[in-house]
Amino acid sequence: MIPVLRKLTSYSIPYAFLGMLAVLATFPLAWIIISSVKSSTELASNSLSFWPRDFTLEHYRRVLFELGAIRNLGNSLFISLSTTVLTIAISAPAAYGIVRFYPKVGQRLTQVLISTYMFPPILLAVPYTIIMITLGLSNTYFGLVLAYLSFSIPYAVWMLTAFYQTVPIEIEEAAYVDRAGRVRTFLSIASPVILPGIVATAVCTFSNAFNEFLFALLFINSSDRMPIAVALYSLSGSECSTGAR
Amino acid sequence: MKDRSSNIAGFWFVLPAMLVVGALLLYPVLSSIFFSFTNRNLLKAVYGFVGFQNFASILQSRDFWNAFANSMKWTAGSVLGQLVVGMLAALALEKIPRFSGVFRTLLIIPWAFPAIVIAFSWRWILNDVYGFLPKLLNAIQITDGNISFLADPQLVFGVALAINIWFGAPLFMINILAALKTVPSDQYEAAKIDGASGFQRFWFITMPHVRRVIGLLLILRTIWVFNNFELLFLITGGGPAGMTTTLPIYAYRTGWGLRQLGMASAITVLLLLFLLILAAFAFRLVSRWERNPTK
Repeated sequence: MIPVLRKLTSYSIPYAFLGMLAVLATFPLAWIIISSVKSSTELASNSLSFWPRDFTLEHYRRVLFELGAIRNLGNSLFISLSTTVLTIAISAPAAYGIVRFYPKVGQRLTQVLISTYMFPPILLAVPYTIIMITLGLSNTYFGLVLAYLSFSIPYAVWMLTAFYQTVPIEIEEAAYVDRAGRVRTFLSIASPVILPGIVATAVCTFSNAFNEFLFALLFINSSDRMPIAVALYSLSGSECSTGAR
Repeated sequence: MKDRSSNIAGFWFVLPAMLVVGALLLYPVLSSIFFSFTNRNLLKAVYGFVGFQNFASILQSRDFWNAFANSMKWTAGSVLGQLVVGMLAALALEKIPRFSGVFRTLLIIPWAFPAIVIAFSWRWILNDVYGFLPKLLNAIQITDGNISFLADPQLVFGVALAINIWFGAPLFMINILAALKTVPSDQYEAAKIDGASGFQRFWFITMPHVRRVIGLLLILRTIWVFNNFELLFLITGGGPAGMTTTLPIYAYRTGWGLRQLGMASAITVLLLLFLLILAAFAFRLVSRWERNPTK
């Protein structure tokens, strides 16, 4: 009986600590979701009740259709997808080339690529602004996607290099014997083997582009082309920021 | 396979990425340095050289040093807070016999959302008219009348810091947890038999296994938090009265608010220089730390 009791008290502190953290971690997001389905009158009242008294999707309807957030969501999807496709199309051959043809330079190169992590995005923002004004790319999807490639490609090359390193050279040599060219070998032998790695890289690229805020804020200024994050930010100035994210 | 032609083939594989990195990273960084010596304005195409005048006026500006001090406090406070909370959470998760997976999933949640969602959720909770927290504090009679957490000069920095710790601690937690899994449990038992205290076991067995991960995380997170613009910008906008203006927000205001792009370039160049020095110092410190376990 006593050892059980002692065990209980020795676990109670970590459990209490984790329980407290779990409440802190989930409450703010839970609260904003709950608030988004409460009526405006209930939000304005002094109520602290967790569950909504009268459930409503009015705020979602307003944000998505009247304020045009559905279009901004579409913009976000389009921009992030374009970034992802271009990033993989450029980074996968580069990562493969580094692993297969320049293994020694490759190590240095990936170090250089990962050190670009240190560049402050705001440092790139000034020259990008000037380049976009000069080339007439400000307020275009293409300009924003180009800016996103600057951080997505180094990251994707670095990730994909690690995956291509796991492809055994023997299966590629078998393909050479069958007279497959280098591009064929890359496309139909090496890349399918690491498809899960390519998917993982694509998911990271997509979510980084989707969540990006600074470049989108600086380079897109008409509300019908804004990605969702910037649109919500500009909305919050005029409207009370209740409702959906 | 290992002849000249394979090198040429390899060249074509790598070329597009090299071009993109050259055009989108190398050229912009160099041109940023170039513009830091000019009086380039956001709206005017004509500009002239001003030598070191931008740097001179920045280094004499009180706003710059205010932003610099804020950046230092913001980065040090956030990263250390994230480390302490993340470490404690990881140790607690490692200790409990059941539900560890459930707690882990719940605790990762803050890290999984974009800055705008984080910032707006907290702004809604802290809102001085409708917010949950001010109303709760009133209801349990700690305060009399709503506090405005994000407008009060005495509270705003600490509140923003707490939100950033809340946001970043999960990353420390999952990485430290992964490192804790590599500690062989028989070492703990041997130490227990030898009569080592809980703290001694932590310091001499746990720490050597997680030290490398912590060192790397500290460096990467320091750089990231120092450079980060959006979370603080979306929570406070740098206010009230510049109390939460960090260097990236200061550069943003100078370049796009005041339209002095040349001046903003100079600020960002100083930012990069400072980071490079800091990183060189940090990497040296961490590699020494890894060699001498007890120091």
